[in-house]
Amino acid sequence: MVVIQALVDGILIGGVYAVVSIGLTLVFGVMGIVNFAQAEFLMLGMFVGYLAWAWLGLDPLIGSVIAFAVVFALGCVVQHTLIRRVLRAPPVAQIFLTVGLLIVIENAALLGFGSQFRSVTTPYQTSALRLGDLFISVPYLAAFLMSVVSGLALWLFMNRSWYGRAMRATAQDGMAASLMGIDADRMRRIAFGLGVGLTAFGGAVILPYFTVHPTVGAQFVVLMFTVVVLGGLGSVAGAIVGGQAVGIIQSLSAMAFPVQLQNLVLFLVFITVLALRPQGLVGGAR
Amino acid sequence: MRPSLVLAAVALTVAALLPLTLDPAGYLIRVLTVTLLFAAMSQAWNIVGGLANQMSLGHAAFFGIGAYTSTILLVNYGLSPWIGMLAGAALGAAFAALVSVPTMGLRGHYFALATLAFGEVMRVIANSWPSLTGGPAGISVPFAPDSLLMLQFKSTLPYYYLMLAALVLVTAVFVVTKAGALGYRLRAVKENPDAAEVVGVDTARVKTIAAVMSGGIMAALGTAYAQFTFFFDPETVFGLGPISIRVALIAILGGIGTAAGPIVGAFVIIPLEELANSWLSAGTAGLSQLVYGILLMLIILVQPRGLVAPVEALAARWRTRRAR
Amino acid sequence: MTDAVLAVANLSKQFGGLQALRDVSFTVAAGEILGLIGPNGAGKTTLFNTLVGIHKVSAGSIRLEGREIAGRKPHRIAALGLTKTFQNVALFMDMSVLDNVLVGALLRQDLRSARVTAAACLDRVGLGAVLHKRAGDLSFPERARVELARALATGPRVILLDEVMAALNAVEMDAIMGLIRSLRADGLTIIVVEHHMRAIMTLCDRIVVLNFGQKIAEGSPAAIARDPQVVRAYLGREYQA
Repeated sequence: MVVIQALVDGILIGGVYAVVSIGLTLVFGVMGIVNFAQAEFLMLGMFVGYLAWAWLGLDPLIGSVIAFAVVFALGCVVQHTLIRRVLRAPPVAQIFLTVGLLIVIENAALLGFGSQFRSVTTPYQTSALRLGDLFISVPYLAAFLMSVVSGLALWLFMNRSWYGRAMRATAQDGMAASLMGIDADRMRRIAFGLGVGLTAFGGAVILPYFTVHPTVGAQFVVLMFTVVVLGGLGSVAGAIVGGQAVGIIQSLSAMAFPVQLQNLVLFLVFITVLALRPQGLVGGAR
Repeated sequence: MRPSLVLAAVALTVAALLPLTLDPAGYLIRVLTVTLLFAAMSQAWNIVGGLANQMSLGHAAFFGIGAYTSTILLVNYGLSPWIGMLAGAALGAAFAALVSVPTMGLRGHYFALATLAFGEVMRVIANSWPSLTGGPAGISVPFAPDSLLMLQFKSTLPYYYLMLAALVLVTAVFVVTKAGALGYRLRAVKENPDAAEVVGVDTARVKTIAAVMSGGIMAALGTAYAQFTFFFDPETVFGLGPISIRVALIAILGGIGTAAGPIVGAFVIIPLEELANSWLSAGTAGLSQLVYGILLMLIILVQPRGLVAPVEALAARWRTRRAR
Repeated sequence: MTDAVLAVANLSKQFGGLQALRDVSFTVAAGEILGLIGPNGAGKTTLFNTLVGIHKVSAGSIRLEGREIAGRKPHRIAALGLTKTFQNVALFMDMSVLDNVLVGALLRQDLRSARVTAAACLDRVGLGAVLHKRAGDLSFPERARVELARALATGPRVILLDEVMAALNAVEMDAIMGLIRSLRADGLTIIVVEHHMRAIMTLCDRIVVLNFGQKIAEGSPAAIARDPQVVRAYLGREYQA
């Protein structure tokens, strides 16, 4: 029973991990760049959600939409002013540009928001649904459902809209896409905005059960990378499976290990997968 | 004599005489000592990052191993840090060989990710094994009277010369490696691993050798750091930002793959950080780091080949003009 | 054949579901120049890459001077005396011409003597005057020669040449062919992949024809030119035209 409870929690949390990591994998898929600063956008999303709650009284689940919009816009700017310039640069430039971005965002937040921990209060914060012997935490469930909805929305966008198709065309061959009249720069802007926006959205929906502070991103960096590496960098479907897997690994290892060592388990999974199958467990040849 | 050798000799003479004009327990000499240490660390990183072109984001792992090994041996068994340094270097080298196994086939972003994870693994272990490491509370080097054997001094001056010697040694290792057979093989692997293999280069072996050298040296420098600061915790020696990213940044700023790069980079970044900290940090936590991050992005966008590159280009032009 | 330097038996290579090589067998005698031809996509480069160990062998055996080399890493195979040049030229572009070749010479020599060997190999391919140029700054035909010099510097017994004559004019081609013959005279065994039929036909002692990853013919140049299956698969358009 305890195991099943852990599994349920893991799946619910994993849904959020999936959405948060889809952003990372999307950026890699379209631009071939690993964004080391991705988790900082999650932190920004959490702060937008928090401020929407503190100033406007909005529930974080609604604030998450604002978080998406704000960070989407920010992402477009970042893509245009920074990332665009290193698309053809060697990996060293790509890696350290986003590392620099990570440092800048984290410390700008530290300056802007101070270093204290903040959290929102919602009426459903501590409530849980009872299913026989299982407890389903309402904030977990709400975050999970929001994640599912956003995942579906992304899927529809990528597969049914002209933008989505143009974006996938850009991902496969930016030059060819340009020749067919697609503004590849614009597509990359949207892709980056969408990627960091989704991550920010995921940050806001976990506000009911997660405190926010400027360095919260650090807790998610390796987690997000583990998710996308499990699923295969660049694969959206992989990120969903990877998110679930990481959620479950985390909640199961929580039963056996103290908190710090849970991360250790995750690191080891991460390194093992990278070493054995850098293209991911889910993704096939590509 | 080659101009670069002349330059090195002049720099070394200045570096050796400079502290005689400074207050031996003052602030300035401390900053210089830290600068020399980071130049040496960055030079060690340069063996992997610059020669093998593998962007490690986990060099803190080796540094921390060195710091903790010697300090634990000193605290528990009273062993001289010199012995601890050897033990730490051996452990660091062994850990580098271990890390090489799963990361061997990885390039670019993937290698950076994997090494980042290894660094974080070590940080987590140090934090969650308090009986050995003192945990998050940190660990102190027990005080002893001034002694070269126990590598402990009240004045900063001896540490200055220790770090200077370390930097000279590591730079010598780098230069000799780069100019030797291993250097040629590493460059070949960096440019085209398949072609290198087909003409007889054991790519796995040369990459592992570079990693082992780099890791061992980094660990030895960890011991030097521990003896210099007397106190450290997992965040300071295993930290991603404080160590792993910083040593890479220094080399990149100066010029990756060049012997002068890490030295130039350290002499720009470390004093700049100190200045930023002393001017800005009063009440504004994060501002100096913010400046630091902006600087990193600017370098990448404006001068990705580092500060040394334009100077080298100028020197090359001057040489060809003189040759004509 | 007992005096075969290289004996390939039932070699197969699969990439996922794609059968790139199927049951390929042939031998090369010491001092022979063997031509390997076939239409684009026939598996010639895949065969070379499999022989030198870049691709893992799926099935079959490769014996170099009687020793099984299938499954070994490329650098081990190079040490045993088998190396190749790359079709699309895989030089170390940011290194000097001399240093490119030097890396190959380091296989059996220390740095000092490797430098001498490298210069000699470059002299031999006619590039003695551009030792210190950056490899990336060379013209395409020059690059192909550096490839050849680098392979020679490893001190091979057998050398696989993947289209070293691409993009050469007639005079340059004759020069390279003369060079290949002189290498054979020195005791090297050579396998050549080439699209220029005139070159192949005049240079090679024997020819193996691949199509869709299978060997479809083997014989003297004259016999190959008459083989109806080969003519249908490949030669029809180009050689008879």
